[in-house]
Amino acid sequence: MAEVKKNEEPRIGVFVCHCGTNIAGSIDVKAVMEYARTLPNVAIADDYQYMCSTPGQNKIAEAIAEQKLTGVVVAACSPRLHEPTFRNATKAGGLNPFRFEMANIREQNSWVHMHQPEEATAKAKDAVRIAVAKASLLEDLVPKSVPVEKAAMVVGGGVGGMQAALDLANAGIKTYLVEKSPTIGGRMSQLDKTFPTLDCSQCILTPKMVDVYRNEGIELLTYTEVEQVEGYIGNFDVTLRKKARGVITPAEAEARGIVGGGCTGCGDCVDVCPVIKPNPFELGMAPRKAIYIYHPQVSPLIFTVDFDACVKCGLCVEACGEKKAVDLEMKDELMTVKVGTVVLALGYDIFPIEKKFEWGYKNYDNVITSLEFERLICASGPTGGHLIRPSDGETPKRVAFVLCAGSRDSTGVGKPYCSRFCCMYSLKHAHQIIEKIPGVVPYIFYMDIRSFGKMYEEFYYRIQDEGAKFIRGRVANILEDPVTKNLHVNAEDTLLGRPIDMEVDLVVLAAAIQPSAETEKTRRLFGVSCSQDGWLLEAHPKLNPCGTTTAGVYLAGVCQGPKDIPDTVAQAEGAASAASIPIHRGEVELEPYFAQCMEEKCAGCGLCVNQCPYGALALVEKDGRTVMQVTEAKCKGCGTCGGFCPGGAIWMQHFATPQIVAQIDAFLLGGEQ
Amino acid sequence: MAVKKDYKDQQLAEKLRDRKYYIPDSNPEFIKDVEKIGQTAAHMCYQCGTCTGSCPSAPRSSYRIRLFMRKAVLGLEEECLTDPDLWLCTTCYSCTDRCPRNLAPTDAIMAMRNLAFKRDIIPRNFLQTVQLIYKSGHGVPNNDANRAARKKLGLEEEPETTLKYPEYLPGIRKILDHYRLKENADRILAEGE
Repeated sequence: MAEVKKNEEPRIGVFVCHCGTNIAGSIDVKAVMEYARTLPNVAIADDYQYMCSTPGQNKIAEAIAEQKLTGVVVAACSPRLHEPTFRNATKAGGLNPFRFEMANIREQNSWVHMHQPEEATAKAKDAVRIAVAKASLLEDLVPKSVPVEKAAMVVGGGVGGMQAALDLANAGIKTYLVEKSPTIGGRMSQLDKTFPTLDCSQCILTPKMVDVYRNEGIELLTYTEVEQVEGYIGNFDVTLRKKARGVITPAEAEARGIVGGGCTGCGDCVDVCPVIKPNPFELGMAPRKAIYIYHPQVSPLIFTVDFDACVKCGLCVEACGEKKAVDLEMKDELMTVKVGTVVLALGYDIFPIEKKFEWGYKNYDNVITSLEFERLICASGPTGGHLIRPSDGETPKRVAFVLCAGSRDSTGVGKPYCSRFCCMYSLKHAHQIIEKIPGVVPYIFYMDIRSFGKMYEEFYYRIQDEGAKFIRGRVANILEDPVTKNLHVNAEDTLLGRPIDMEVDLVVLAAAIQPSAETEKTRRLFGVSCSQDGWLLEAHPKLNPCGTTTAGVYLAGVCQGPKDIPDTVAQAEGAASAASIPIHRGEVELEPYFAQCMEEKCAGCGLCVNQCPYGALALVEKDGRTVMQVTEAKCKGCGTCGGFCPGGAIWMQHFATPQIVAQIDAFLLGGEQ
Repeated sequence: MAVKKDYKDQQLAEKLRDRKYYIPDSNPEFIKDVEKIGQTAAHMCYQCGTCTGSCPSAPRSSYRIRLFMRKAVLGLEEECLTDPDLWLCTTCYSCTDRCPRNLAPTDAIMAMRNLAFKRDIIPRNFLQTVQLIYKSGHGVPNNDANRAARKKLGLEEEPETTLKYPEYLPGIRKILDHYRLKENADRILAEGE
């Protein structure tokens, strides 16, 4: 139970950092330091070139010992950068680390007021005065350790999610791999070849799919979605919806007492099914039945019933016979698993490029997207690998590739970012048609060729050598010849400075990518932020690219921003490593910013209980009275309850009302008591 | 500055003229003026060529709107304002519709025309159009062939404009007078005689 402690007479040490010229360039550091000496409770004030350096930190520790300080203020950069550093220095001096307060005079002052030195100095004095007021009232706090569940969850079964799950499982951690579609493999399984090595995509992916399926540490949950998330790092309770698949696995059959039953993937059911639907794996370019698998290499090899299409004629049940694998009455099931950490690998979708109507996608037959091209050029695709014009099935001899189709577009229709892998896969596409179609000429309309990866520039060199024609100009519009269904690509060859009208047989749009449809819902469940364009926000773009601001949740692959396969796999390995650290340590420390109930003031009204966004509060009986109790591990210290309590009975540790009032007073009264 | 060599032969001098771009050739205020008048962030152009690819004038002339954008960014005021191609834009706004940077190249061109007109740089046919509008309210006034065609189509000979209602012509003249458009057109045309 916390209470307002009668502190011994506060003795505060103030340290003002120059940060080279970052701060001292516009703020008079000496004047701020001299000013600090005049403030009440300040025992010592000092300044130093770089407070974060070892000598700077030593100054803090020494002053604590010599001056018997009760609190420390450092006026420097953002607490997001160096608060941990100075807390450690405070601790090294023998003081509780939560008796440290930081005044940000760089990001929020010297950098933004670069050309107003006088005003900046005055503002820095204000910031120091406010920090001293709070530091005078700071208390000892002890972080809470909570145990970490020795299990992890990976959401998304593409190549990134698979890699993260394999790494976690191979590190000895029980891993749940959750995938919304009936098979793992993701986008990569739709691709024909990969750049720059020209490996067959499926050939390098399927061994990984098999590894995932066979790995005893991985519990593979396909056709499953995340329904609800509760808890915090170390103790997430995740509710999953196992969608009704209509088909049971051999293991499920055994549980039902059907000996030797369950789906073996034989496909007898498909032959008899009378319902035909487009196959989304083939982007609607090939049919599938109402009972289906996406492609022959799916993992797990279990059929799925599309209940939106199924007419429940029962022919599949008959065809399945004694295996009794088909259950047309199956219902969705909810299951809850407990995990310590989570990796999100939610992937991407293709931007609906028909919105850029000047290129005529979905209007002209022979304008296709690059993902459709992948399926058409793939030997296991709908045409057996023969690239054809959709209008007449002919082999195209002149193919235009439109780069930046919807990417680098600030109109509000397309996407402002670079989708990052379109240049390289379009080069690969050019290679593939040169290889397969004698006499074909690929024309690549580009603004910049971004071939920045390892062996990528060499790949560009190779494709140019193979005969691809590069035209430096963005495509203005495409018109269709209504008779021949040929396309006229209009652009400017900006290097010639001449407009061109190029008649081609087929146009391939390298469409922009966007976060997958489920990203928004899933990120909200896990409390992860996103940037303006919907990609999930990493904790730090350079120094913590796999973490998020929600402890225990990590990111892998394109859901964090456009990435090619090598980058996705690398980030997945990073995320898996990061996600395994708390699990292997066995416990995590939570910052002690918990709400505390001051029981003598609490009327037990319970109004706060419903306000709490984290379900951390409850009413309990204590000494014959009803009072509120906080589950500290669930409390995030948001302060909602503390601000709301009508009796002022909730004490927000480290952000207590007297501390905040002291800060406001210090600001408004200008230091006069 | 461009290096000048003293060739006796003027043709040779022109042929071998120093065509490098020198910083003093640039007027950094030019792009600011264009942006202020045109109300578009012309300096954000990334030279993709969508504008020229969309332009109905480009295939049949040497007009390259992308190059005007480029020269504006570089502050090449003289080159922009003295280039007769500046007046070949039909203001169809196709480039503005399609510009991926959401710029309005058409409005940048209109801004440059404004700046050129301030320096009396303007083709005579544009000035003659000003005179025609002042006279009739129309850039292309009605004529006998048109009247006959209209009659054949069962329309009145004069359209529902100042041609039919000449009492509204003073209003149009008032606008032109307010901007001293007619006065300047007359003066520039007279000076060029």
